[in-house]
Amino acid sequence: MILSFLQHQWKAFWRSKNTGKSIAVRVVMAFLLLYLFANVLVVAYFLDEILDELFPLERIVDAFNGVILYYFLFDLLMRFQLQELPTLSVRPYLTLRVTRNQIVNYLSISSLWTGFNLAPVMLTLPFLFKQVLPYHGVGIFWGYLLAIIGLTLFNHFFSLWFKRKVNLNSWFLLAFVGVVAGLGLLDFHWHVISISYVSKLLFNHLYQQPVLAIIPLFMAIVIFFINYKFLKNNLYLDELRSDHSGEKTSTDISFFNRFGIAGELAATELKLILRNKRPSSSLKICGIMMFYGLLFYTNPVYAASFGWKIFAAMFMTGIFIINYGQFMFSWQASHFDGIMAHKIKALDFFKSKLILFYTFSSITYILTIPYVYFGWKVLLVQSVMVLWNLGVNTTIVLYFATRNYRRIDLTKGASFNWEGVGASQWILSIPLFTLPFVVYAPFGLLGQPMAGILCIGFIGLAGMITRNFWLNLLVKEFSEKRYLIAEGFRNE
Amino acid sequence: MMIEIKDLKKTYNGITVVDIPSLQINKGESIGLVGNNGAGKTTLFRIILDLIRKDSGEVLSKGFNVSDTDTWKDYTGSYLDEGFLIEYLTPEEYFYYIGSLYQVSRTDIDVKLETYTDFFNGEILGKKKYIRDLSKGNQCKVGVVACLMQNPEIIMLDEPFANIDPSTQFRLKNMLKQVAFEGQITSIVSSHDLNHVTDVCKRILLMEKGLIIKDIQTDVNTLEELESYFSVMK
Repeated sequence: MILSFLQHQWKAFWRSKNTGKSIAVRVVMAFLLLYLFANVLVVAYFLDEILDELFPLERIVDAFNGVILYYFLFDLLMRFQLQELPTLSVRPYLTLRVTRNQIVNYLSISSLWTGFNLAPVMLTLPFLFKQVLPYHGVGIFWGYLLAIIGLTLFNHFFSLWFKRKVNLNSWFLLAFVGVVAGLGLLDFHWHVISISYVSKLLFNHLYQQPVLAIIPLFMAIVIFFINYKFLKNNLYLDELRSDHSGEKTSTDISFFNRFGIAGELAATELKLILRNKRPSSSLKICGIMMFYGLLFYTNPVYAASFGWKIFAAMFMTGIFIINYGQFMFSWQASHFDGIMAHKIKALDFFKSKLILFYTFSSITYILTIPYVYFGWKVLLVQSVMVLWNLGVNTTIVLYFATRNYRRIDLTKGASFNWEGVGASQWILSIPLFTLPFVVYAPFGLLGQPMAGILCIGFIGLAGMITRNFWLNLLVKEFSEKRYLIAEGFRNE
Repeated sequence: MMIEIKDLKKTYNGITVVDIPSLQINKGESIGLVGNNGAGKTTLFRIILDLIRKDSGEVLSKGFNVSDTDTWKDYTGSYLDEGFLIEYLTPEEYFYYIGSLYQVSRTDIDVKLETYTDFFNGEILGKKKYIRDLSKGNQCKVGVVACLMQNPEIIMLDEPFANIDPSTQFRLKNMLKQVAFEGQITSIVSSHDLNHVTDVCKRILLMEKGLIIKDIQTDVNTLEELESYFSVMK
């Protein structure tokens, strides 16, 4: 039975029209994965030397013991943030002659296939082979391996269970991050506690008594059954639904009214962003990105150069355009037929996007003004880049939007969600990231950075002033591609 | 003439899904579109609404090609499926949104909604639910009413009877009959329910494998004729 579930999932993945139809995407993704894989392998292979470098005074195994607990704490944190609950469309199976146990078994087992579970074993196995097996014997080798697998599985099922149980909202996550950050500070900064000491204590015991590896394994089994039971008791359609929120209100966003039909469309799209899971999480990312400047402006290496300022300023003032805009029109995939058949002029449709872009960029620009604390040049670059974002990047993003035929399911979360990602996003990032530097570089090389900055601003401003010209170009492009877009969006 | 179709052809992977050499629909006609699954009804709707690129031929609405102009959108109300609804709005918001597109003021929308109180049966308005949380039948009600809100000259509905309860079916039938009786609005309605279609529509188009194989004015024998066609089909 589980086999045929797996088969269905496999087919669902490969036969989904969203799964990289174009070979380019598959190649890029394969390279990306290979690259990550290679990175992990390199780190794993040199783990002993890295540890030696970091903790020159300790025995390598002691140093290893000291970091294991850190890893798994960090792992848990990452899982809370990023790991998706395996949702499998159980709906078609619930009424068939399939027992609950089988479905739950499947949900549990299929969830195991994630990089989070692969990483710890991949990271430690070469180390164990190089350092533990030859010098400390087979017993200890197996002890470590089993303990690590046990802890991995424990983290895995614990995070699944916990996420389901408390239906984590972002505030809770923030609190959790705060706690872990606090622990880290206590440990590293104030030296009040030492996780590394605890870690050593635990794993030194394991080193002496490899049999103790059954403890983490046992923990994993216990949490597996807790998760299992919880799932089994909650396997009802209405409870599996992600959305538990109560009454819905009809809000009115009067700010946009002055822009006519384009304004109405913008207001409707704002509701789209606020009321659906994935776009609203991409909005949250915009909020987090406001702190990007702290990373760049405080660092003396970055602070000296204009190049990094351009980069940071472009991101902060244009994050909405980049992050939300890269999936343009896909957000509206589920009602795109309505948009096409109703009385909406393509020009108004595009204008509504501009209204949204202008609104959000203005907000982020205003919010980032306090960075002027780091010097007036910072504010200048940010002002110039907001012009660039509005004048140039909007057009680039919307142009690529006419080449994006992938449907997005609004209700799914954003992290590790590849739905709607296609070649156009990869290609889009090239002009987005390089163009301002193409403009700036000649001036920078000639030792006239200020002129380069002003030139960027001038081009941005020119783009804003001539926006009707660009809008008409976009409309023309859109009318040619509209059937392709609509057809792509119809494919679920 | 409201809608004129000439030499229309559409194929998918070598299979012809719509092939209509000529079809004329006059102002005020009520057309019933019937045919088994895969006959090409929805595809025809989509082509008339310019949602799908046709391989050849043209669709004229009031004499203008629907692919080249947007003016037909001013007077064409359509509801094919949930893809016409905005699922994250409440029904009220959606009606106001439609109203704003067609220059119908909020007060006018409110007045019009009053007249659909029976049709909605208390399940649509003031429920504080998003459209995505409504049942399929109730979504269909929202779509149909939104379509009538636009003061259209043509309405196109794809299987509006499919998901709604019997009482609503009767009410919808009466609404459509009223529309047909007044003779101002042209309607095209597809359905698998032969009783409803012959009851409501004055002209029936029967599609099979993309072709219109029967084009008949409804009379007392029409239902029987259609039933015999569908029961013989293998």
